[in-house]
Amino acid sequence: MALVEIRDVHKKFGRTDVLNGVSLDVEEGEIVTIIGRSGSGKSTLLRCINALETVDAGEIHVEGQRVHARMPDLRQFRQRVGIVFQAFNLFSHLKVERNITLAPLLTGRIGKSEARPLALDVLARVGLADKIDAWPEQLSGGQQQRVAIARCLAMAPHLMLFDEVTSALDPELVGEVLKVMEAMARQGMTMILVTHEMGFARNVADRIVFMHQGRVWEQGPPSKLFVRPETPELASFIASVK
Amino acid sequence: MNFLPLWRYRDQLIDGTIVTLELTVIAACFGLLIGTAGAVALKGRVKPTRWLVRSYIELFRNTPSLIQLFIVFFVLPNFGLKLPAFEAAAVALSLYFGAYSVEIIRSGLDSVPRSQIEAGQCLGLSGWQVFFHILLPPALRNAYPAVTSQFVLLLLGTSLASQVAADELFHVAGFIESRTYRSFEVYAIICAVYFAMAMSFKILFAVVGALAFRWPRRR
Repeated sequence: MALVEIRDVHKKFGRTDVLNGVSLDVEEGEIVTIIGRSGSGKSTLLRCINALETVDAGEIHVEGQRVHARMPDLRQFRQRVGIVFQAFNLFSHLKVERNITLAPLLTGRIGKSEARPLALDVLARVGLADKIDAWPEQLSGGQQQRVAIARCLAMAPHLMLFDEVTSALDPELVGEVLKVMEAMARQGMTMILVTHEMGFARNVADRIVFMHQGRVWEQGPPSKLFVRPETPELASFIASVK
Repeated sequence: MNFLPLWRYRDQLIDGTIVTLELTVIAACFGLLIGTAGAVALKGRVKPTRWLVRSYIELFRNTPSLIQLFIVFFVLPNFGLKLPAFEAAAVALSLYFGAYSVEIIRSGLDSVPRSQIEAGQCLGLSGWQVFFHILLPPALRNAYPAVTSQFVLLLLGTSLASQVAADELFHVAGFIESRTYRSFEVYAIICAVYFAMAMSFKILFAVVGALAFRWPRRR
């Protein structure tokens, strides 16, 4: 059974069809990159996977559990599915340590004495252990995004979702974030990413999913998809981002 | 100009000042409670409550506070609710301060980006945890300057309570003036007392604010 099973999912915003029957499986340990033009439904699909959006029709299962906004253990479910956003969304009134340990402490995952060691551990994994006592606003965009990733890691998620996490960064800061994500990929984390970083998609992803008009238009390993696109839509998309 | 004849009224002046401070603090506390509850109700899904809160705000912000006080003190007894002067003033001023607080606190809550709430939800926090740990601190910071200046307006506004003969500072001043006929001296003194109180609160609020909100502002 796949870790994530998406079956014929439909979603409308007002009268606009955003998702038009999306089906997709993601295996444990797999790294899947979703690409496509803006408005193709990539981010919406990602947000549906952890119930930030509710689907109008179809079903999503994660670890065999049906996902929807009113699921009884939504909070426990979200602790297992981490999401990193384009805008970092760090809590600016809390220092880096507290940003990371707030949720593990409040949800009872760890005790007080374990908080700082946990923060140091996950910060070390994103190369920012020395920033544990900084305020988020004192960090660069790339550092903030790495703290946001560390904050997710502190919950020991089984699945990580990345929603255009490098899009808001200055070009010279993109690399440091991608490097952290590559390291996570090597450690076997299951990851679903929406990204415009084609180089990253090509080098790190096991599978590329091209979305178009709210559907999975074409998918396959990067070696095949980027070299021999089968549909004219994907061919023209690849040409446009080169 | 001669301030000496006022010296024998110093105890009354001190008592009046204390009553003014009590009135201010009581009305501020209840007003903030009303304000927070009202702001949460305004953001809630229940339409009749939203409508009720909205009517309350408009009613109290668009009528003279002196009339509000008179209604509590002179009209409510007709409906069986007879309050002494101080209590009536406390109720009227709480309602008045509450009406302004609702909007201030609501806009403080609205100033926190929705994405912050989402980030909290995505970490598996409950609604209350998100409210207290993520939404409230930045909301308070954003609402703080408006709340504190409204507080000073409330402090000055307590002088209205003299009109129902509550023993606050302005009422005491009227009493002393009627005894001594030293209008200039009496009103100069209570002006200075109001000014000193207002400035002290401003300094206090600045210090408290600097201690409570230490994180750097969002760029």
